[in-house]
Amino acid sequence: MSELINEYLGRLKAALSGADPATIQDALCDAEEHLWTALELAREEKPGIQDSEAVRAEIERYGSPEEVASAYLRIGPRFGSSAGGRAASTGRSGPKRFFGVFTDPSAYGALFYMLFSMITGIFYFTWAMTGLSLSAGLIVLIIGLPFLGIFLLSVRGIAHVEGRIIEALLGVRMPRRPIFARKGLSWSGRLSALIRDPMTWKSVLYMVLMLPLGIIYWTVTFISLVLSFWGMLRPVLEYGFDLPYANIGNVAYYTTEWMMPIVMATGVLWLFVTMHMARGLGRMHARMARSLLVRD
Amino acid sequence: MNEMNETEAARKKFRKELKSGTVSLVLLSILSRADRPMYGYQITKNIDSGEGAGPDMGQGALYPVLRSLEKTGQLESRVEPSVSGPPRRYYSITEAGRETLVDWTGAWEETRNFVDAILKGDHDV
Repeated sequence: MSELINEYLGRLKAALSGADPATIQDALCDAEEHLWTALELAREEKPGIQDSEAVRAEIERYGSPEEVASAYLRIGPRFGSSAGGRAASTGRSGPKRFFGVFTDPSAYGALFYMLFSMITGIFYFTWAMTGLSLSAGLIVLIIGLPFLGIFLLSVRGIAHVEGRIIEALLGVRMPRRPIFARKGLSWSGRLSALIRDPMTWKSVLYMVLMLPLGIIYWTVTFISLVLSFWGMLRPVLEYGFDLPYANIGNVAYYTTEWMMPIVMATGVLWLFVTMHMARGLGRMHARMARSLLVRD
Repeated sequence: MNEMNETEAARKKFRKELKSGTVSLVLLSILSRADRPMYGYQITKNIDSGEGAGPDMGQGALYPVLRSLEKTGQLESRVEPSVSGPPRRYYSITEAGRETLVDWTGAWEETRNFVDAILKGDHDV
């Protein structure tokens, strides 16, 4: 019965404690699916059978929580890239770790995400705000509820797409879950399931938050990149194109010769700092996205 | 009594090792013959109804292998809601998976012939 299945899932979760959360999620989903399906079929095949008896037999065949847990742990974490990136940056000396960011694919992904998030942020915010206000305005009309339903469905769809973007660029797994756990719900049932599901409203919150966050990410990353290239390209700009670094009144200011290498080196260093910053922001953002867009 | 238990345990361990090495091949083969996507429970039933030794390996151990095959692109899956109970993940084999199956079947036959030859003793040692 469901208590027995839940108890088994609890033990499986305990046996997997400390593992990657995505792996735990996968293991629990698989076991739940298997045991419920088995129970259903047992009920059909042997109508007289006790649920608890059928579930016990299936759990026996499925394997002990420890055995199943070790099978998942052997397969390893689901997302190679993030684990790989992190593994590569640990256990190295300070300078190596600092400059090693250049070989970390997730840092480039994060950098791109930071620049790109302003566009998605504007879109998400506009979509959420338009949808919310139109839904509120139309609610008194006959098309109000269907409109709200379509809007909330679109929110879940966008949350799913954003999850895929985060997976690809930030290297953090966002488990996919179907919106409706059960088939055969009526339209009104689906609408009320959508409205009652906190995930829907968390996704709306995420979409709204993405505007300020996207602007901050873009600004910080863009300014940081410009500063870094400004430093690195000083000699080209000043000696090649005769562009001073500042023009105040009628006086043009050029970098003195002895300062030039220092300015350039600072530019290069700043590029590394920028990549570290993008990667750090990316990790923070992915953590927030996981808590708002994914059911754990 | 104790000795029998030890023999039994050793045999169990050996069988488990044999199975864990071949389970990916078995799963690919089952899915390559299926005419529609299958979910985990159907696949385990398919394995159990086949000939051979009893379930030394818990059915639960098949699921991580399915996921790992999907991760490497041999299988693909989609989740569909079920009439009652939690949604089910339906697996099907990809083109890459079919190619892998041919390749692995070759490797399996080589291994099997080699082991058979050794066991029969007609291999030059």
